[in-house]
Amino acid sequence: MPDFTLTSAPPLAGHDKTFGDLRLTSPADLALVSLALPLGGEDAAQKAIKSAYGAALPAPGKSVCTKDGARLVRLGPDAGMVIFTHATPDAERVVADRLNGAAYTTDQTDVWTGLELTGPPARAALERICPLDLHDSAFAVDDAARTAMEHLGVLIIRTGQDSFLLLSASSSAGSFLHAVETSIENTI
Amino acid sequence: MIIPHPLLGPRDAAEFVYLGDAALIDRPDWQAEDALTAFHDYGYLRDNPAGPHKELWYHEQGDRSWLVVTRDTTTHEITAVELARDVARSRGRSA
Repeated sequence: MPDFTLTSAPPLAGHDKTFGDLRLTSPADLALVSLALPLGGEDAAQKAIKSAYGAALPAPGKSVCTKDGARLVRLGPDAGMVIFTHATPDAERVVADRLNGAAYTTDQTDVWTGLELTGPPARAALERICPLDLHDSAFAVDDAARTAMEHLGVLIIRTGQDSFLLLSASSSAGSFLHAVETSIENTI
Repeated sequence: MIIPHPLLGPRDAAEFVYLGDAALIDRPDWQAEDALTAFHDYGYLRDNPAGPHKELWYHEQGDRSWLVVTRDTTTHEITAVELARDVARSRGRSA
């Protein structure tokens, strides 16, 4: 029997398109691991996150960048996500080892797909599909939120003054890309 | 309609799923003497007020939290929003 090797490829891998001042790319080797703080063990989990990453898990709706380039996102009272760059398919083990099992970790790398939108018109390009107020006063740099765009669940993170990271389900990656590109084309 | 989430700020009602009367939090004791009547009432009987109404909303396209929203059914004005788990805890339930 011939030997097969399967190579995993993210659904939007290598996507890179420019629309005037806007650039829409799919970040390479994006790894996502969700964190759930155990009931009764919230403080221990927070402490473990702080000692492992040098940054505390922020308040719900906020994110923080750690020194080693990871991003800690707090999605709810007991839920968070670690987003980092990691090429091999063992992201969950890496995070679990660093936290010493103080929080429940689940690998989300293959479940989500990422799109990064950068450029001065980024906020305007999202205003037709994103139900959230993305102005500086309401959605500052490093703010994060789960919402829906074109009926697709999206985790949106403001990574910079003019850049947003959008994460959506990989099973509907093509539809999501179409929705974002249509919105960009309609606003420029 | 905008629902002011206690943790996440104002969110569009499209992100939420509506369940119904917040009395659903108070599930009767199944071992009580009058469990049959209590569960009949719990399952089938609802008030239908024209005015302030406490109801359960689920933030499905968000942080997956359950909320107890006090909404005026005649004007859609929302006067209070609490996390359902805080409501349950304030009654000595949940951890």
